[in-house]
Amino acid sequence: MPNINTGDTSHNFDAIVIGSGISGGWAAKEFTEKGLKTLVLERGRDVKHLKDYPTTSLMPWEFPHRGQLTAQQKEDNPVVSKCYAFKEDAVHFFVKDKEHPYVQDQPFDWIRGYQVGGKSLLWARQTQRWSNYDFEGPARDGFAVDWPIRYEDIAPWYSYVEKFAGISGNKDHLPGLPDGEFLPPMELTKVEQYFKDFVGKNYHDRHVIYGRCAHITEPQEIHKQQGRMQCQKRDLCQRGCPFGGYFSSNASTIPWAEKTGNLTLKPDTVVHSIIYDAQKGKATGVRVIDAKTHAATEYFAPVIFVNAAAVNTNIILLNSTSDRFPNGIGNDNGLLGKYFAFHNYRAVITGKYEGLLEYTTDGRRPTSAYIPRFRNLVKQETDFLRGYAAGFYAMRPSFSKPDGFGAQLKDSLFKKDLGPWSVGSHMMGETIPKEKSRLFLDKEKKDEWGIPLVHTDIGYDDNDEKMVKDFFEQMTDMYTKAGFTDLKTRDSKQAPGLDIHEMGGVRMGHDPKTSLLNKWNQMHLVKNVFVTDGACMTSTSTQNPSLTYMALTARAVDYAVKEMKKGTI
Amino acid sequence: MLVSRRTVLKQVLFVSAGLAILPSCFNGKKPPGKKLNNFALSSEETDTLTALADTLIPGGEKPGAIQVKADQYALTLVDDCFTKADREKFLTGLKAFRKDWKKGDVAYLKKMEETAEGDASNFYHTYKNLLIQGYTGSEYYLTKVFPYELVPGRFHGSVLVNKG
Repeated sequence: MPNINTGDTSHNFDAIVIGSGISGGWAAKEFTEKGLKTLVLERGRDVKHLKDYPTTSLMPWEFPHRGQLTAQQKEDNPVVSKCYAFKEDAVHFFVKDKEHPYVQDQPFDWIRGYQVGGKSLLWARQTQRWSNYDFEGPARDGFAVDWPIRYEDIAPWYSYVEKFAGISGNKDHLPGLPDGEFLPPMELTKVEQYFKDFVGKNYHDRHVIYGRCAHITEPQEIHKQQGRMQCQKRDLCQRGCPFGGYFSSNASTIPWAEKTGNLTLKPDTVVHSIIYDAQKGKATGVRVIDAKTHAATEYFAPVIFVNAAAVNTNIILLNSTSDRFPNGIGNDNGLLGKYFAFHNYRAVITGKYEGLLEYTTDGRRPTSAYIPRFRNLVKQETDFLRGYAAGFYAMRPSFSKPDGFGAQLKDSLFKKDLGPWSVGSHMMGETIPKEKSRLFLDKEKKDEWGIPLVHTDIGYDDNDEKMVKDFFEQMTDMYTKAGFTDLKTRDSKQAPGLDIHEMGGVRMGHDPKTSLLNKWNQMHLVKNVFVTDGACMTSTSTQNPSLTYMALTARAVDYAVKEMKKGTI
Repeated sequence: MLVSRRTVLKQVLFVSAGLAILPSCFNGKKPPGKKLNNFALSSEETDTLTALADTLIPGGEKPGAIQVKADQYALTLVDDCFTKADREKFLTGLKAFRKDWKKGDVAYLKKMEETAEGDASNFYHTYKNLLIQGYTGSEYYLTKVFPYELVPGRFHGSVLVNKG
């Protein structure tokens, strides 16, 4: 491997990766394994696997508030308090609202994890592949721009990352949700299996499957080499897993990269901007601010991967201005920050099932069943574009019925009854990227590191409203026919962002006039800058996106290193 | 064969997991003792809360609310997790309740059980719910009554109820 900077100072590397979350961790692993001296810059503090999971082995009674937030925490954090995982056992892994302000031109719940590992410590671990129904979506339905890649381009890279990360799943042979390299699935519950059979019999185009997820259900040699073990079904993933049972940068890619001896990891280092050299016609490095001392410095490398998470990647690129690129690096077409999108998670349906009461479950399961998208999959069939996937669970809660007071109350607490099955689904809707849905930088207001505050101007549209309505209609119909009762639908009206699937702003495409990145996630106009996190997404589809970021990252590093060898970068 | 291999594998996993967990166990800070940050109680009010906790979930052969510190948990919640408005409502209710109840007055508690309105009743039901939360979330309850498993190691989706 060309070691271009050998003998130079510690500010020179072969590759710089901005961010250590789910995609940055993969970039670090791939570069270091290929022998490149790699600098990973992380704006947050260091979080070491095992050592920095302070709550991971605490029992419920060891939390003073038994998991609840305090009134002060809620008052101080109106945004992040809305996140389901922001609870007493994981508050330390989330950004607090006041510490990192932004400007909401329209409400946007920006959920962030500033630490080594980023949100990979906190993610919901669902890993569904995209198919060509997804990659061909914009071209077929006439929105955004055509994806410059197809399933065949990314399929080997899905396999590559799945084997290393450890993905549990069932081969379901569905054209819309390709099978992968699966470890055994966890079990469906009796009523999930019942609903799966019912839907399979009654709808030719709808399916209920076990949700593919990044949990090691049967460790392979590659997982043992990472020091990771079988998922122990604790269902306490947000605390950090002492078994490495689920995939995170902290448990997997970062320590793997460290073992090569080629990784330099700098936590508490905020990237201000990318440095562009007009004479060389490429980026030469990054300008950073020490998170604690606020001292500025620069690091240099022949290739730069931007994996700061979708919004922050947009901020860094927009803030990387020069005479050549006054509106942000690589942004001649003015589209940087635009066509930003997300997943519509507003709709929830719940109900009961009074059948199969002779069965229950035993143990815990950190995942659930999944209903792949069926709407408009093969052809357009509704008055809205695209469709939605849904989660599905059926569990049997047990509870005591507190009765009266004194000895009577006490006795009642020593009994538990099994209730009927609780069933439910949440919608994961595709949203259409639009030019007016955008991020941009404030002209005056800056954060304490001197970086302009970002404005979020992203909203729902009529297509999203129609989709919510259809989700309620279709799910109510399916649930009713299956014999589920006491159905309740709820539109949370939650703001974009709370889905934590924000995507776009630096989209991939064929044409430099209408996109920022080419089919290798490489900036059209600055060939040694790559973006492989959520910011690169041309459209959103319905699948949880992290697996696709991982695959795109490994693929882009492979390409970048080959091009470096050829001397084109 | 399969079973015994699984058992061995499990044991290996638990030992290694134990090692992995050790450092954070030693670092794990015990929750601090009860300290009220946002309000004050007179000693008479404290006595009432203690007496009511002891009446609602009395001690005996099996520990009651006081023995498992459910009363302290309840106050911690009122102190830290209640909004100012809810805390004031709680305290107003406590004052109203104290006026009419003395320890041993079972008839009054029966009346509270049947009433959903009024300051005293609001206090009574709020406090009772907190005590139940504190009791069923206590170390005693989650180790001796319905043991909580930190590491279940299993999930079975279809188990017959009478065997479960």
